[in-house]
Amino acid sequence: MFFHIVLERNMQLHPRHFGPHLRDKLVSKLIKDVEGTCSGRHGFVVAITGVEDIGKGLIREGTGYVTFPVKYQCVVFRPFKGEILEAVVTMVNKMGFFAEAGPVQIFVSNHLIPDDMEFQSGDVPNYTTSDGSVKIQKESEVRLKIIGTRVDATEIFCIGTIKDDFLGVISDPGAAV
Amino acid sequence: MSLAEAPSSSPSSSSGSEDFAALLDAELELASGADSAFPGDPSSASPATDDEGEEEDSEEEVEVEVLEQNGAKRRRVEEQRQDQGMSISPDKFATGPSENVQVELCPHPGYFGGLCFRCGKPQDEEDVSGVAFGYIHKGLRLGTSEIDRLRGADLKNLLRERKLVLILDLDHTLINSTKLQDISSAENELGIRTAALKDDPDRSIFTLDSMQMLTKLRPFVRKFLKEASNMFEMYIYTMGDKAYAIEIAKLLDPTNVYFPSKVISNSDCTQRHQKGLDVILGAESVAVILDDTEYVWQKHKENLILMERYHYFASSCRQFGFGVRSLSESMQDERESDGALATVLNVLKRIHAIFFDTAAETDLSSQDVRQVIKTVRKEVLKGCKLVFSRVFPNNARPQEQMMWKMAEHLGAVCSTDVDSTVTHVVAVDLGTEKARWAVGNKKFLVHPRWIEAANFRWHRQPEEDFHVIPPKEKSRDKVNAGLDESEHLNGDLQVFRVREYVMRIENP
Repeated sequence: MFFHIVLERNMQLHPRHFGPHLRDKLVSKLIKDVEGTCSGRHGFVVAITGVEDIGKGLIREGTGYVTFPVKYQCVVFRPFKGEILEAVVTMVNKMGFFAEAGPVQIFVSNHLIPDDMEFQSGDVPNYTTSDGSVKIQKESEVRLKIIGTRVDATEIFCIGTIKDDFLGVISDPGAAV
Repeated sequence: MSLAEAPSSSPSSSSGSEDFAALLDAELELASGADSAFPGDPSSASPATDDEGEEEDSEEEVEVEVLEQNGAKRRRVEEQRQDQGMSISPDKFATGPSENVQVELCPHPGYFGGLCFRCGKPQDEEDVSGVAFGYIHKGLRLGTSEIDRLRGADLKNLLRERKLVLILDLDHTLINSTKLQDISSAENELGIRTAALKDDPDRSIFTLDSMQMLTKLRPFVRKFLKEASNMFEMYIYTMGDKAYAIEIAKLLDPTNVYFPSKVISNSDCTQRHQKGLDVILGAESVAVILDDTEYVWQKHKENLILMERYHYFASSCRQFGFGVRSLSESMQDERESDGALATVLNVLKRIHAIFFDTAAETDLSSQDVRQVIKTVRKEVLKGCKLVFSRVFPNNARPQEQMMWKMAEHLGAVCSTDVDSTVTHVVAVDLGTEKARWAVGNKKFLVHPRWIEAANFRWHRQPEEDFHVIPPKEKSRDKVNAGLDESEHLNGDLQVFRVREYVMRIENP
């Protein structure tokens, strides 16, 4: 799920940046520091959309660095248990398949793939139904349900399932060929 | 809702979190199904990761606040415990639709990123079970029962495709690498680095810029991989580090058809300085290993086909104590047609054929490739009866000697006394009683090298190439004679083995 929220962060700035472009410098450092990171509470910071407020700087004794509290708006992405996501399959093997939804890594194990789909090894490993009508392989787009999430400092891991109604392949790269 | 309480512990991100929590509440009230699943959710972010998040949010925190935080965290952990306790039933409910009201606990067949991949619950942090399969995907870990299940399922598929599992070592087996700084001056003069820069699709020498290394592919390796891939599911298993293994895999398999997520490096080993089949999702009964080091496969010697070490670069020779000119320095190389890889490919073909053809009458799944390897090896010196003369130290039991065991594994019969059924006398000296007996009775008199050569070449070698050198030509002459003889009779392949052997004689 995506959220547009306001977050706050204390930014430390080197004294050499004090001058006419201080604000720009602060914003570019903020973007560099924050975009693409994960936090356990908010998930993945996709983009900073604006800076609401920059508070008063506090000079650190000894170093000359200044700490600014910065409030900024950003778009975050955080998967939730029970959420339905669309993801692109990145790897298929006998244990199941791995998929990505943006920065989020999702694993769907073969326990959570419908029983009528069987693993086929070969040049393009895939899961196929017995009648061959549905096929999951690399680059397939699947709709899946998240049953577990873990967000750590740099990555989000999810466990997904397609063993439920209306889940599974939504576009099949092999079908077009 | 514990998320809503969280801001109190982290003053620096208060406004954002409040908004966020409010949003969440709104969203969650809409999504009815998610409601039951949610209480368990905060617990999935473990206290450790929460901590990290907070530290990131507030780079500068005064000590008092930290203390407060700790207090708050403790409180929160307690809440989580309660949450977890309460959430057992809703969790069951959440997975219920797919698992059909499952009463018994999930056996946790494996984990991805610390979450059970069957029920989605976080892993017990104290009791980390199973084997990590980092080479397949980061964060993947499988329990033993799941590995067994996968192996069993895999075995059926493999046998249906008439394939076995082949595990390949890299260094000295398929390739030889050297650091750029270790290139000898002679190699430099021969322009070895410029050869690596040429844009020739058939070249066999490459520079790994990122690692400051030069790599030489063993002759025949491309053809070997191509043919072996029809009979085997192949893995790379090296003691090198991951980055190196991946780079080499790219050289050997540019289109990634032979080794898709099958490159195992030292970070995946479960035991230090040991390789094991436990990280391979193939049954032991169908696994064949090609490696130049026996020591690392303590538990799986029966699966191992020992390879003659491929030393191309001077640094590699030095490392193993050969004080002679390397192949690179003398502009030589193993022959494609009968080099080590071509030889072993024939052996593999034979093993594959025996495995699948003799199984016509029996059940395929009861076949064991280890038995097949033994059978094939036993044919090498079949019908030979050997007597050793002054090869072993006097006080040692001959049955325990390496050479004796090797001969027996190759199918020869070993004996301590000469009689009319003896076919070969193995000696290093012409002067012994048994050696003279052999000459007198027109038996083959061979050097122990003959057994070694047969062991590596999987074929009985012509005895006349392994004469015992007359005692008068000792010392220097012997070294030269040994080298020359092998070089023109046995091809380049033998050179190093012989050198190694000569070394052993020279410095006992």
